[in-house]
Amino acid sequence: METFALSEPVLLVLLSLAEQPRHGYSILKDIESMSGGGVLLSTGTLYGALQRLLENGWIERVEEDSTPRDRRTYRLTSRGRRNLQMEIERMRHLTKVAALRMARKEA
Amino acid sequence: MIVTLTVYRWMLCLYPGSYRGEIAEEMTSVFLDAQSTLPPALAAKISFYRREFCGLLSGALYAHFDRLFGPAIPFRRFDMQSQFRFPRSTVLLMLVIFAGTVLTIAKASSIAGARPGSVWPSFVSVGALMLLTMCTAAAVVVGILHALRRSGVYRLENVQGRMDSAESNGKP
Repeated sequence: METFALSEPVLLVLLSLAEQPRHGYSILKDIESMSGGGVLLSTGTLYGALQRLLENGWIERVEEDSTPRDRRTYRLTSRGRRNLQMEIERMRHLTKVAALRMARKEA
Repeated sequence: MIVTLTVYRWMLCLYPGSYRGEIAEEMTSVFLDAQSTLPPALAAKISFYRREFCGLLSGALYAHFDRLFGPAIPFRRFDMQSQFRFPRSTVLLMLVIFAGTVLTIAKASSIAGARPGSVWPSFVSVGALMLLTMCTAAAVVVGILHALRRSGVYRLENVQGRMDSAESNGKP
């Protein structure tokens, strides 16, 4: 299994889009809620991240004629979902190891 | 509200034209939505505007780097780092270099003043100017490299490399 680490904001953007397609403001609010108010992204940072995720093919814009230009929706691509899954597996493995280590220390 | 929106729109002009044309309208709309739900506390407002304007400045800078150098320069992932802190040691280093440069210029000026009519003063001034330019460039490069290492950008660059190699090998 390929293992790698994503930065927290990128991970949160991907997690936000994993549940459902969202537009920019919805992503900001969802990230704020997911992190318990700990991560507050600026619009500059959010759109920098979205732009790069778009370039890398991890997310895509949902093309709908009815969507206004200032409220475009983004969703995960299969590539983005696969990489997010790999990241979750990596974190799961890490927390498992951490729990084992802590249990050994307490024993 | 109108003033901050004007400043926001003005700062969007710092982005490259193509980038601005693509997402400026959307960013402004999100900014307005976020602004409309701000809590009434002054501290929250200050924090919001500081975050927004700093985010725009860094976003514009990296968008330009992206446009100029493409993926060859690792700045493209720079603003994704939540843990980024500009290292104090770099600030100290920049201050030391700046102080050294100022002292060099002062010394050069005093030497030039002591030898009226000599051809050396102009050489000394040009030399001091070159030194100042080189020191500034070196300080900026050292600062950026140090900050990138601290922010873990190299780790994210590895991600893309691993993903590409995994895809070329046909792994999931």
